[in-house]
Amino acid sequence: MKADQIGEQDSLFRHVVFPLAFGGRAFQWDKTMKLFDEPDGSILASLAWERYVPTTAHIHAYGCRLASRMNADQQKKDKYREKDRRIYSGAYQLRADHIRALATTNGLEEVLSAEVIHHVEAGEIAHTDLRITLKRDSEFGLEGTKTAILACLWNACCGPLVHKCDCDQEILQHPSHSLPDAPSGPYRDMRPYLERLWYLLRFHVCSWLWRKKL
Amino acid sequence: MFDYSTKIYKQALIVLDSSFGALELPPALIPGSYFGSGYSKVALYEPSLMDSMNTTMDMESQITRTIFSGAPVLWNSDLSQGYQELGEALGEITELDEDDDWRIDPPVYNAARYVASELMRMSFPAPRIFNHGPKSIVFNWSSGTNNLYLTISGDRMSALISSPERIQRRIDYAANQLIDSPLALFYIEAAYSGKPVERWVTGAISDLQELSA
Repeated sequence: MKADQIGEQDSLFRHVVFPLAFGGRAFQWDKTMKLFDEPDGSILASLAWERYVPTTAHIHAYGCRLASRMNADQQKKDKYREKDRRIYSGAYQLRADHIRALATTNGLEEVLSAEVIHHVEAGEIAHTDLRITLKRDSEFGLEGTKTAILACLWNACCGPLVHKCDCDQEILQHPSHSLPDAPSGPYRDMRPYLERLWYLLRFHVCSWLWRKKL
Repeated sequence: MFDYSTKIYKQALIVLDSSFGALELPPALIPGSYFGSGYSKVALYEPSLMDSMNTTMDMESQITRTIFSGAPVLWNSDLSQGYQELGEALGEITELDEDDDWRIDPPVYNAARYVASELMRMSFPAPRIFNHGPKSIVFNWSSGTNNLYLTISGDRMSALISSPERIQRRIDYAANQLIDSPLALFYIEAAYSGKPVERWVTGAISDLQELSA
């Protein structure tokens, strides 16, 4: 297996940011996972790979940076409003093999392949593309297919891992309280202690090498 | 003891046209059976409609009365409010900036408004909404752990019924098929309420007549 190839048992995380993933104060998974159309007809979404967010603290640090970047972008566009301030609320876990299984899911016959590909983006070395390729002769419309994919991904989720970023500690009604249990149960880090240590060591080495390369 | 001076208890009553053939009526077709049995529907009618309703009620041969027990009760005013909020939400996301990921195109807005009016006419509860981008809007209802999604784009609509274990049903319609007949909505309701429907087609439908045959 190549060094940057994502193993079948590897975890990937989808971060939940308020208010994007909410309808009012209620969490909506369907709003959490934004699926983008690619010019080649494939569907693209973003996840974070466990290898580069090796501990819960790293997973949440990624989410806090994500919300912070979103707020900065809004301010840059002069669209920032305090009531719409982006607040990182937690993350849900998906496993690589469950994502790849979309291609063999009953009722999703139009999916040719579903793959997770490590792709550094916005300075985040954990950023990973979820790319879904569709068959060209599908009888279903693309938009309906996206809905079905979202439903299947939600059913494969574990979690949530809830969190309050330091900058959000004063929020009384923090949206992390609204995150429901995922259909596949709570998140459990099944890695043995030594493996976790190895992941952590590898993460620090890779991060150092990557930053040195910039 | 009831305080009859301030409380009015209305008997659940559904008036159906005789052409439905009440005795053969599949449960899923009964308005208000969306959440299965034990669902009551209480309607508040405009005074101007009462005269014609009374006339109809006198014609016993054309009346089918179906009495339901149990909760929840869906008031038409709740339904109206839910759909009013839906309409406002649709309007808001149509008017978002062009570079906003959550904006929808005008044809999608028009199709969504039409579908919403049909759903309200059939007394479906107002849905939650979300979207994938400008080309579609998704109406969603949850019933226990099951979900019904209607993905509406400018020229077609897809229905999806999913449970935590699997995708149960998917069906695609061209938009004009939906407009031509409310039968499509009936089949969606039937599938979602878990009632058996004699002919159910999974997959894209090129001719809605298949369903009504």
